Amino acid sequence: MAPAPTTDRQWSTEFDTARRQKLFQNPPKDRTAYPTLAAAVDPHIHSFNQIFAKGGHLDEALKEIGTKVFLDGDPSAQPEDVGRRNRLSIKITDVFLDKSVLPPSNKVSVGNRNILPAECRERHVSYRGKLRARVLYRINNGDWLETVRELGQVPIMLKSNRCHLENMSPAQLYKAKEETEEFGGYFIVNGIEKIIRMLIVPRRNYPMAIQRPSYTNRGPGYTTLGVEIRSVRPDQTSQTNALHYLNDGNVNLRFSWRKAEYLVPVVMVLKALVETNDRDIFEGIVGTADSEGLAEKQFVTDRVELLLRTYKVYGLHSRAATRAYLGSKFRIVLQIPDDISDEEAGTEFLRKIILPHLGAYHITERNDADKFRMLLFMVRKLYSLAEGECSVENPDAVQNQEVLLGGQLYGMIIKEKMDEWLNSIRFPLQEWGRKNEWKLFTSQDFQKDFLGRILKRAQGEDVGRAMEYFLSTGNLVSPTGLDLQQTAGFCVVAEKLNFYRFISHFRMVHRGAYFAQMKTTTVRKLLPESWGFLCPVHTPDGAPCGLLNHFAHKCKIATKGVDVSAIPKVVAQIGVSSKASASLNASVVVQLDGRILGFCSPKQAKVIADTLRYYKVEGSHDIPLELEIGYIPNSNSGQYPGIFMSSQSSRMYRPVKYLPLDKLDYVGPFEQPYMSIACTDPEIVSGDSTHVEEDPTNILSIVANMTPFSDFNQSPRNMYQCQMGKQTMGTPATALRYRTDNKTYRLQTGQTPIVRPPLHNEYGLDNFPNGTNAVVAVISYTGYDMDDAMILNKSAHERGFGHGSIYKTKICDLAEGQRKSRSAKTVNRLFGFAPEGVVKANWRETLDDDGLPRVGTMLRSGDVLAAWHNVSYDQTLGDYVNLDGQTQFFKYKEDELAFVEEVRVIGSETAADPCQKISVKLRVPRSPVIGDKFSSRHGQKGVCSQKWPAIDMPFSESGIQPDVIINPHAFPSRMTIGMFVESLAGKAGALHGIAQDSTPFRFDENNTAVDFFGHQLMKAGYNYYGNEPMYSGITGEELAADIYIGVVYYQRLRHMVNDKYQVRTTGPVNSYTGQPIKGRKKGGGIRVGEMERDSLLAHGTAFLLQDRLMNCSDYTKATICRDCGSFLSTTPTVNEYQRKNSKAFQVRCRRCAKLADNSASKTEVWSDGQGIRYQGGDDVTTVAVPGVLKYLDVELASMGIRLKFDVEP
Amino acid sequence: MSGYTTSGAQQPSTGAAADASTIDIHSRAVSYTCGDCDGDVQLKRGEPIRCRNCGHRVLYKKRTNRMVQFEAR
Repeated sequence: MAPAPTTDRQWSTEFDTARRQKLFQNPPKDRTAYPTLAAAVDPHIHSFNQIFAKGGHLDEALKEIGTKVFLDGDPSAQPEDVGRRNRLSIKITDVFLDKSVLPPSNKVSVGNRNILPAECRERHVSYRGKLRARVLYRINNGDWLETVRELGQVPIMLKSNRCHLENMSPAQLYKAKEETEEFGGYFIVNGIEKIIRMLIVPRRNYPMAIQRPSYTNRGPGYTTLGVEIRSVRPDQTSQTNALHYLNDGNVNLRFSWRKAEYLVPVVMVLKALVETNDRDIFEGIVGTADSEGLAEKQFVTDRVELLLRTYKVYGLHSRAATRAYLGSKFRIVLQIPDDISDEEAGTEFLRKIILPHLGAYHITERNDADKFRMLLFMVRKLYSLAEGECSVENPDAVQNQEVLLGGQLYGMIIKEKMDEWLNSIRFPLQEWGRKNEWKLFTSQDFQKDFLGRILKRAQGEDVGRAMEYFLSTGNLVSPTGLDLQQTAGFCVVAEKLNFYRFISHFRMVHRGAYFAQMKTTTVRKLLPESWGFLCPVHTPDGAPCGLLNHFAHKCKIATKGVDVSAIPKVVAQIGVSSKASASLNASVVVQLDGRILGFCSPKQAKVIADTLRYYKVEGSHDIPLELEIGYIPNSNSGQYPGIFMSSQSSRMYRPVKYLPLDKLDYVGPFEQPYMSIACTDPEIVSGDSTHVEEDPTNILSIVANMTPFSDFNQSPRNMYQCQMGKQTMGTPATALRYRTDNKTYRLQTGQTPIVRPPLHNEYGLDNFPNGTNAVVAVISYTGYDMDDAMILNKSAHERGFGHGSIYKTKICDLAEGQRKSRSAKTVNRLFGFAPEGVVKANWRETLDDDGLPRVGTMLRSGDVLAAWHNVSYDQTLGDYVNLDGQTQFFKYKEDELAFVEEVRVIGSETAADPCQKISVKLRVPRSPVIGDKFSSRHGQKGVCSQKWPAIDMPFSESGIQPDVIINPHAFPSRMTIGMFVESLAGKAGALHGIAQDSTPFRFDENNTAVDFFGHQLMKAGYNYYGNEPMYSGITGEELAADIYIGVVYYQRLRHMVNDKYQVRTTGPVNSYTGQPIKGRKKGGGIRVGEMERDSLLAHGTAFLLQDRLMNCSDYTKATICRDCGSFLSTTPTVNEYQRKNSKAFQVRCRRCAKLADNSASKTEVWSDGQGIRYQGGDDVTTVAVPGVLKYLDVELASMGIRLKFDVEP
Repeated sequence: MSGYTTSGAQQPSTGAAADASTIDIHSRAVSYTCGDCDGDVQLKRGEPIRCRNCGHRVLYKKRTNRMVQFEAR
């Protein structure tokens, strides 16, 4: 047995410097010290694990796909001619995903053949494993034959159960060139880290009452009302069924299949599901005949009568007849083989489309009965909605939503690709039949050809490539659309800009790209239902505001269903009946995962909900703790009442304390609005509150929790900090050497904040410091600190305050741009100088013998980065020979100075090819300069406006001078009191050498923060309020006012002037107009637009305008004819006797000129380029005009419009 | 796999050795560091990229032994 893990996992606010140092020097060999950090990405990893787990999504999916049947013979032949056709049945029984290993073609590596993720990052390839499927097939009823097909290489999520890193200890992770606290949850595609974003989707298996104006577009008679259910199969694919209410009271069922919508009368589906009669249906919708309240249900009885009457026109009476009718209509759409009867096709229709959550395969009578009852309930709810008995539900509230996890989506796509692959066998089968005179499947030839000729030719076998495409682009290519509203934007790059940003990607949930274009803002609203599930602070402002949310840090997502087999029994014991009464006041529904368990009185419903909750927290009666018991009490036309329990995956849930047992309970978003959960212990109301929050900060996301004293700030400031925290130059990773990100920012002088919540340590954020503690004085001192500018102490800057670097990776790939032939990858370029060619000395300044850059050299713009030459393979020599002796180069093109940090020589997977790709990591030093952006952790950003000499800085009585000066005007309107408190706490913490707890909601009116930290300051001999007398550094005089000075944690943001400045006098121009092009990258200009022009005009600065709009733009000298006023008719003369480039050429107007006659004198005659002689047209002059004017003239001329210019004087 | 890449992989040493005397300084071996075992790897022009010791496929270039001097300002 392994020794019990000993690594301490308890963290406090303390600095724990020695402990962290030890953790860093000797990464623990047993377990990570930061379990909460790893838990933050659990939804991603566990959902991926579920795909390939035993009984996981793919196992279920394969059952749902079932057996595909193909028939032989000429499909166009008449059935009588062919007779009974032979059936080829084919199915997939197992799917395996291997770990990432070297291909068999690599015969060099003998020991460890694993490919670790770090290698994939370094080599800019994908981290993937081989996917194999066991395919069984048989002809007619023969024996099943087995074959295993390879479905390509599928990207693997890091730290999942298909990854080498799973269960590695920090020490092992460090050996594998990962972070010691690597938590995975993302994919590596072409060396880039990608994650599948979590997506908000409608809650599964819950019929939601919806009102949508667009429902009327379905056709005449359709109203805005409907009941919609997103029915989720065990393999997590979903099928939405909607009921539409029509004006006359009729109800139609709508569903989508392969992106097309279909409408079916609901009674037809009801009658197809079970052997039933009109009375059963009537009583199922209205209520039993003897139940109370039937008399008041006139509205519903009328409509159900009509519903049943209108259905009579179909004349379908038995279940078999109805199924056959449905089957005949839908067999083409569902691609059902020809030899299946219509009735069986109808059964297949019901299995695939109608409420598949109640049975998606191996359908039993009970499944159909469940579907029948659920459909009746939906009709009931729809009538209730139409009647006004219940209200519509809000699809934008978290209550009616769940999360589509990355792994689930991934599994869905794999399922669909395999389904498509099986379907596509049809085409090679037909092809084979056509070529072989429609030989039978029973023939020897078919046996021989099936594997090699037919199965191999089926399209879409390479599932791996499809998955890689999905991950690298985020585009969903799907014939069904997967019941989702978007086809793009599923994957994003997990940017490791700093650690906040990186971790935020895994807690991020998107509402859906469809809602981003919506003009109304209702979907973006922060609703009270989100409490504790989505962070109210952590959402970006601007376009994605409210659509891109982050989970509260304690919010969990269920990744697999819990065992609920005991619940129906327990519910039955407490007491439910199978029949509903007419009135909601007499009976409400009890459902479990969209299955009706029974009906009971509202009073009884409360008893059931309370009892179940008690049982589940207690852990008795086999009721799982994670079960959500959505009890909706009866109300006056509120949400439709009942008990709706959910146990399946994708649910959000969060921990709270259950008061009756004083134990942990989990609540979900569906039940929460009807529960009484106290925020803090003092708020508990006896007899009402059933739960209490574990901590009020549980509602905030990880990043929002890091804002110190955020409860003191105005709320938008906290939002700004959540954004700015994610664009800080910090420490993206500790394994920076093994990373090859395109661009990474790094702060050289990171510190741990003095003021931080204990969560900072719990999430291990000290491993990735994000800023520097700075002594900040709030004073208007220099005149350079107005308008959110800040003054940096020059000495602080020289000591390294905020010093950072940018790492850029340049990939030099010789194979790039070469046509990719699939079979033979030929080498026709090699790195290095051409062997026979000359090598110039200045090339060797940056390049080594091998033509690769020297590590450590400084590069300036235009320097050579790597040398290469063309080669061809010489069979006789067995070597690559260069014929032209030419050396070509990759060049460093950027303007900034950079140093070569690392050069990686990248081999191929087979380790048999010469070098075709190198990746060069460059370091660009970025010390803070004027114009760089900094911010405190309170949404107070500022731009460095001056580096003030230390001698001129103000100093306090103890001789302390600030590192940063900010202007007092930054505070009154922004009300970031948290920053004042941080300053106070930071100062006290620095003086006493302690870390300060900055958790919000810890202070109140009687027990103020100012008092707490003020007393600490007093103890250290400082002013209680944090003010200090200060002296001017210039005159040495004491300043008239006391200055607020303290220690604030400052972040350096990644926006730097060096990446932004844009100046030009001359430069590239647009070839059409002659005006400057735009774009900083291309050396373009900034547009002086209409408004700028107006303001210059108003100022009377005419020369400035002339300069901007003419001289620096498209100033052109143009020749114009004074007579006819045209630019276009002037032409230079060509003299036969003069040299071509002689300066003395004249311009004449061809339009005003006449052909020269013999009488004209020689001086007046001129000739054009064709040698035609003219005379006259000499009233031509030169004017300065904008180049576009000439262009406009040409364009207008092409339309037959002539511009005539009067030229004066 | 193409025919000649495999053959190139199998006998790079014979071809290179035969020409070693004739080919000039251009095919001087440069030494790299293996990304996995940290061992020294000597490679000549056109040789397949892998560590001789462990077969690893990423090699790092060593820091130049030239004097590197910058003006520090």
